[in-house]
Amino acid sequence: MSAYIGEHTWAGQLGHVLTASSFVMALLATVSFLLATQRNDDQWKRLGRLAFHGHTLAVLGIIVTLFLMLFNHWFEYDYVWKHSNLSMSMEYIASCFWEGQEGSFVLWTFWHVVLGQVLLWRWRSGRSAVWETPVMTVIALVQVFLATMILGIYIGDIRIGNSPFLLIRELEENIGLPWTTMPNYLQAIPQFADGRGLNPLLQNYWMVIHPPTLFLGFAATLIPFAHALAGLWKRDHQGWMAPALPWAFFGIMVLGTGILMGGAWAYEALSFGGFWAWDPVENASLVPWLTLVGAGHLMLVNKRKPTSLFTVYLLTLITFVLVLYSTFLTRSGVLGDTSVHSFTGDGMLPGLLFFLLFFIGLSVLLLLPRADQRRFYALISAALLVIGVVLEIPVPAILLFGAVTLVNLLIAYRSAFNSSDPEESLWSREFWLFIGSLVLLLSAVQITFSTSIPVFNLLLEPLGNGLRSLSSATGIGAFTQLADARFAPPSEAIEHYNRWQLPFAFITSMLVAFTQYLRWKDSDRRKFWRDIRVALLLATLITAACVWALDYTLPEADRVALLFATAFAFTANLGYATVVLKGRLKNAGPSVAHVGFALVLLGALISTSRTEEVSRNTRNMDLRFLNEAFDNNEDILLYRGDTVRMGDHFVRYRNKERKEGNLYFAMDYYGVEPRDYREGDTVRVGDMLFVSQSDHIAGDHFLADQPAYWRPVDQHTRRALWYAQEWSNARAGAAQFTLHPFIQINPRFGNVPEPDTRHWWNKDLYTHVRYADLEADADSADDGWMPDRTYDKTVGDTIVTPTAIAIIDSVYVMRDSATKSMLGERYTVYAAHMRVRDLYRSDRWFEARPVVIYADGAPVMGRAAEIPPLRVKYGLSTVDAAAYVEPSAGQRNVVKFGLTVAEAEFVVMQALMFPGINILWIGCVLLALGTGMAVWQRFRERPSKQA
Amino acid sequence: MKRSHIIAIVIISVSIAALVGSLYDSSTYADLAQAMEDPGTEYHVVGVLDRSHEIIYEPSLNASLTTFTMKDLTGKTCTVHLAKAKPQDFERSERLVLIGSATENGEFHARDMLMKCPSKYNEENRIEG
Repeated sequence: MSAYIGEHTWAGQLGHVLTASSFVMALLATVSFLLATQRNDDQWKRLGRLAFHGHTLAVLGIIVTLFLMLFNHWFEYDYVWKHSNLSMSMEYIASCFWEGQEGSFVLWTFWHVVLGQVLLWRWRSGRSAVWETPVMTVIALVQVFLATMILGIYIGDIRIGNSPFLLIRELEENIGLPWTTMPNYLQAIPQFADGRGLNPLLQNYWMVIHPPTLFLGFAATLIPFAHALAGLWKRDHQGWMAPALPWAFFGIMVLGTGILMGGAWAYEALSFGGFWAWDPVENASLVPWLTLVGAGHLMLVNKRKPTSLFTVYLLTLITFVLVLYSTFLTRSGVLGDTSVHSFTGDGMLPGLLFFLLFFIGLSVLLLLPRADQRRFYALISAALLVIGVVLEIPVPAILLFGAVTLVNLLIAYRSAFNSSDPEESLWSREFWLFIGSLVLLLSAVQITFSTSIPVFNLLLEPLGNGLRSLSSATGIGAFTQLADARFAPPSEAIEHYNRWQLPFAFITSMLVAFTQYLRWKDSDRRKFWRDIRVALLLATLITAACVWALDYTLPEADRVALLFATAFAFTANLGYATVVLKGRLKNAGPSVAHVGFALVLLGALISTSRTEEVSRNTRNMDLRFLNEAFDNNEDILLYRGDTVRMGDHFVRYRNKERKEGNLYFAMDYYGVEPRDYREGDTVRVGDMLFVSQSDHIAGDHFLADQPAYWRPVDQHTRRALWYAQEWSNARAGAAQFTLHPFIQINPRFGNVPEPDTRHWWNKDLYTHVRYADLEADADSADDGWMPDRTYDKTVGDTIVTPTAIAIIDSVYVMRDSATKSMLGERYTVYAAHMRVRDLYRSDRWFEARPVVIYADGAPVMGRAAEIPPLRVKYGLSTVDAAAYVEPSAGQRNVVKFGLTVAEAEFVVMQALMFPGINILWIGCVLLALGTGMAVWQRFRERPSKQA
Repeated sequence: MKRSHIIAIVIISVSIAALVGSLYDSSTYADLAQAMEDPGTEYHVVGVLDRSHEIIYEPSLNASLTTFTMKDLTGKTCTVHLAKAKPQDFERSERLVLIGSATENGEFHARDMLMKCPSKYNEENRIEG
């Protein structure tokens, strides 16, 4: 085969070599650290470190190589071609890097490597160094699995992982195609000149910082997990927690920040109208955070006294397992139709599933206390793996594995952790921390269940026959239902999750409020009440104020309860920081974080329960005639230049402008001023005309004003009524601000509307364009009209448009001398005479005379007739000249012609008012800040305690 | 009874309730025929946009109503009234999931719709040479 021209194959080869060495080095590190742990051997330990350093270098090399390929636009590479192009700005190159499945695995791997190196560095200075070998074994093992995800090699017919270093001509689907043998294919085939580019949704600065933060958060959960497994391995159930604890809180901080950044991105750049939609992808990142918070707090308890060991293990282990599960859900393709923004499968399912099941199995294996139990469990698991793969019955094998695992988990609990400790006091801090952790676990369980509905379908599918026969045997119909069911996610997903999560949020907030006031072991009740009563009183006042200001009613009692709980958590922690800690900053981290947590919930509660849809469909047709479930209050229609009342503003659609592939809509906002009328002003109310008797300012309703100020006009022309303005009590005041929602025009990925938001201290006005005429772009004339629609009509026909009904009375040739002398004999001028009526007012008539000029039997030019009050324009496009008959007196001629109709240009916009959303954002910052302070404190204090 | 037992019972019952609750709240995937048999009940219906019929969207009549024809996976077609503005790039969609219910007169009223546009992982990769 001849050499290809213009390829940079060395980069891909280097990438493959680096990927392979990262895999081999991780494997070597795992084995070395494993042997070092088992034999307590320093030589193996040194080899393990060396291998991990080698692995680190390989991973860094992969990153540099991939960036190099992206930077240089080497479009012969599939990953580069799919995720970047020449025209995108370089600041988003990082987004290209992790947009794809492969790149995001590299990012994840990278953070593990970084954290592993930090740990190695800390152990070198002697801190908790006994944990080095077992912890590094686990980390290296996880790296082995992650490396396979991007390995992209074949074992037999099975491909392991997807490599980001593949050339397009090496792709499976392209192998053997004729062009792959052309030496000059890069030059010859135009598609290779430019890549496909980055999805416009991701061309956003949040997308540069959100994924790395989230993945650092995911990576951080590995450290407590590895320590927990190390603790089980070495049978030292207490020692692992001290070094794991700061990492747990580090994970809480980073993962929490990452999740909230995702919310901020959604709020700022996506147009689903909010910051949290309980989308499977969002849920998948929230759930591990919840369990990690539980685990972290129980580790705190264990610093004081060993307690609820099993729960600490369970929460710590399950956090990482849930990270794997979320990876599996969002990347394997099992979510299918249920999530809009999950990755497609790409054949990753088996690998990801094995990754997940392996670490579940390993966790339960190590939880089992006796060697014979472990052997038995390992044997059964291995047998099930073989049966599932060889007999190709994966689902029953997985179900069986799940059952065996659950049973062994119970066995582990009964035989190793079921201590008969004396019960903890109800007035102790540790008891309520324990309860809080369980509540978080339950909350996580609920979210996981509802998110996993598509997985249930897959698991139930092979059981269908069994369930059906079970049903016929027992006569219970429910089994058949289960067998036939194809579950879809809750159709009111947001309501579903909000309803279920509200009680958990309530309990958690109450616990966040009072648990700190309790002392370890037992508390003085009187002191407890004395310390907390001010906070309780303040919280009640805040709740009352909010209920009054935001108008909560009795059916919303659950929301008011949560409002109280979050307000209580806020005041109590504020009080704790000032009264109990006396403002000492050193220990204030937890209080600040708790205040932040309370504010996040409070802001979310207020802004979601009091979201106001200020854009309402006030025009003409009510959707609820069609279906009661339909919502009429979502979108507003704005004609260009029209000023329309919207909530507390008047809004005017000024113009649209194309800039760098985006179509910007300028929406001017005006204040609302009371309308003043002068003596002699006329207004229309219904079919009547009124004249003002004196200067006055309009009141709320016309009926109230009328006796004092308005006199009906008995005799008036129709024209006067048509042109009179409708009475209103308000008018647009001073211009206040302009919002520029826009639509990203992207022919490849689809056009994407992006919102623009006006921020006040107490609320946000969030707007985005739902529908607009995109065809009138830079090329065609932007004339203020929507695109023409052409209809074939005959004289006497009528045509109905959304605002008007038109009757075509005649089509005739204009033969007046002026026209003739001006144009000459070659030209024929046709005109249509039309009567046009307001669709909604039977007495409001207009006339229209569109014209078309023919030269030598072909139309050359036309002039449309505009009727601005009805926002419609009529034009004659063609006239069937051959069949043209002169109209005779009193009789219509029958002529066929083409009529074009255009409406005035408009956009459809949605506007939402989110009150109190800044409480949420302030809460986010405080949550991250407070946790950061606490982590800092933990990392610093350890040496003195450990020594 | 020890307090830990009470806690265990509460945890188990809440977990079961959450499982049942998520299944109870869950909707069902159905094809058009199934949805038609059971008018008024909410279903998820998967299908594609039938491009041989017109998509009617008249914002000046109602900005939140789009009418079109959908073909489900069995090939049955049906007129759909969607209570939303016409999504950007609706014409290019390759897969739709409608959330709503059928009416007595054989139309489908969708309260919401998920739309998958041509994924980044196909179509244009096919380079013919």
